[in-house]
Amino acid sequence: MKPLRVLVLIVCASTLAIGADHEFHGVVRSIESAYSVHHTHIPLLGVVLFLARPAGVGGLKLAVFEGFKTPTDVADLSRVIENSLGPDWHPFVKVRSKGETNGETTIIYASPAGGRLRMMIVNVEPSEATVVELNLSDRAIRRWMKEPGEEAENQSGHRSHPADD
Amino acid sequence: MMKTVIRAIPSLVLLLTLPSMLRAQDIKLPVDVEKLSAKAKETVEVNMDGPMLRWASKFLSAEDPDEQKAAKLITNLRGIYVRSFEFDKEGAYTPAEVEQLRAQFHAPDWSRVVGVRSEHDGDNVDVFFKLENDRMAGIVIVAAESKELTFVNIVGPIEVEQLADLGGEFGIPKLNPKTLPKSASAKSVAKAEKGEQK
Repeated sequence: MKPLRVLVLIVCASTLAIGADHEFHGVVRSIESAYSVHHTHIPLLGVVLFLARPAGVGGLKLAVFEGFKTPTDVADLSRVIENSLGPDWHPFVKVRSKGETNGETTIIYASPAGGRLRMMIVNVEPSEATVVELNLSDRAIRRWMKEPGEEAENQSGHRSHPADD
Repeated sequence: MMKTVIRAIPSLVLLLTLPSMLRAQDIKLPVDVEKLSAKAKETVEVNMDGPMLRWASKFLSAEDPDEQKAAKLITNLRGIYVRSFEFDKEGAYTPAEVEQLRAQFHAPDWSRVVGVRSEHDGDNVDVFFKLENDRMAGIVIVAAESKELTFVNIVGPIEVEQLADLGGEFGIPKLNPKTLPKSASAKSVAKAEKGEQK
């Protein structure tokens, strides 16, 4: 019976993984289609993401679009992303800074489920776009909710100084 | 590539530093105010809708009475929405544009409970409470500074006492009026009264 249980677990896990991949690849494909770009193939990306992931973060997926031309309408980009995501995803944060050479747009969608939080982060710069999907563990979420400022500093490796305030 | 991965971390930080932000459901930003995002150097929009808030409340400890009070407040909320515009120069938006936003709260079920006008630096803050059957059903904060405009909309039933219970959670400092330095409190009140024009 034990092998059967293991098999069932593997099948379930694979199904979940394929589901998660489906949404990530859906966003990537939608951006490729809407803006006539292709994401860059990065050798050994999976290994690097596994080794570089911050504590409590799992399921990191990354797609980079080089030579991406920033769309004039951010709302249009939001629509492209939203059309690729299911109803479980919620618009969470949108940040846009202006500037021809250093303008940047970050759009984050979140999908809370059980003890985990999935996030789809799309970042657009003047000549590059990035799509990142990640899962936050319940321990990481608790840490962030308790001390968001401290966790931000820990994760980014940046310590604020009294002079910064 | 590593740079790109690392670059995603601040976004993560931003989204979890959450406790506050939003798009309005009951309250809509006037079209002219929406257009401000085109003039703004930076626009930040944060949305925490009901399902997200209820999910987040599950991470508060059932064994900690303070966290349970915070969870109760959050669970009942329908959403928290924040919109913030930062401009690179003064005068990027007109008082009339902000007034369009404030005008929505002249309705009978809304009350302006705080209105601060500073002649010194031009910082204006308005806090509006929505009352339904004598109970608070929402809070809107409009903060207009010379180069920054922030709009916060908290939708849902709120007990004023519960607001203090959020202190110590989500990185919000604990607020205890008794522990405030008397001199500082008095100074702040005097300053606010001096600059206020209702």
